Amino acid sequence: MLLGLGAAWLIMFIYVVLITLRERKLRKELDRVRRMVEHPNK
Amino acid sequence: MREKIIIGLAVFAGALLAWNMNTIFTKLPDELNQGAIYRIIYFHVPANILGMSGFGLGMLFSIGYLVTKDLRYDALAASVTEVSLVFASIGLATGSIWARIIWGVWWAWDYRLTSWLVCWLIFGGYLMLRRAVDEPNQRARFAAVVSILGSVNAYISYKSIEWWTTQHPQPVLSIRNGGGMAAGMEAPIWWNVLALACFSAILVMVRMRQESFAREIDTLRRMAHAQ
Repeated sequence: MLLGLGAAWLIMFIYVVLITLRERKLRKELDRVRRMVEHPNK
Repeated sequence: MREKIIIGLAVFAGALLAWNMNTIFTKLPDELNQGAIYRIIYFHVPANILGMSGFGLGMLFSIGYLVTKDLRYDALAASVTEVSLVFASIGLATGSIWARIIWGVWWAWDYRLTSWLVCWLIFGGYLMLRRAVDEPNQRARFAAVVSILGSVNAYISYKSIEWWTTQHPQPVLSIRNGGGMAAGMEAPIWWNVLALACFSAILVMVRMRQESFAREIDTLRRMAHAQ
């Protein structure tokens, strides 16, 4: 039973980690592209 | 505003889940034939309910996109489908662990398990397809078609335990005329559905924000190329 519960929470935990990493990556990319548009010559 | 809603939902869902876990693990007796392992049902069933209903909701948003061509519907469909796939994965994993202990095997190729696995693969393919197509409208159109096909399969999977004889147990919940649970043992399933639905809503909101970031990045890139 604990194995089942552990598996459920592990899958959820992995997804939350992945979604957090994706958010961080997107924010970085958005900042980079914004800077690229605001200062096209840099 | 979105952050406040997310925090409020997280607090509510966390408290509800903690209270319900206490009920499940300390107040409910073991099942007569299965012993303690039957408690997996309190996570397996809610996860599959959220998976199936999420795929159906994703299909409605996909149809919304096909009708209106509004990419916000596509973003909603993608977000709901991705989160639903996580719950479907939990449903498959917990079901398999239960099967190993009760049936003695990890998997049985019966109608229910096979159709649900096919459904999981279709929606896994849906997410891969979204990464493979760059043009947003084309991506949304292709994804909508896959979502509709996958949801039809999800409905077949839902009904399979009524239509065919399966290794998987027949319906036990009272709303499906199952009546297979003693009084007081069914309510925690629905409380868990509510708590996990709140978590699901949080994840969908976060994914929606990411979709909006991705759209903004795409627009800015086009502007940069046009300069």
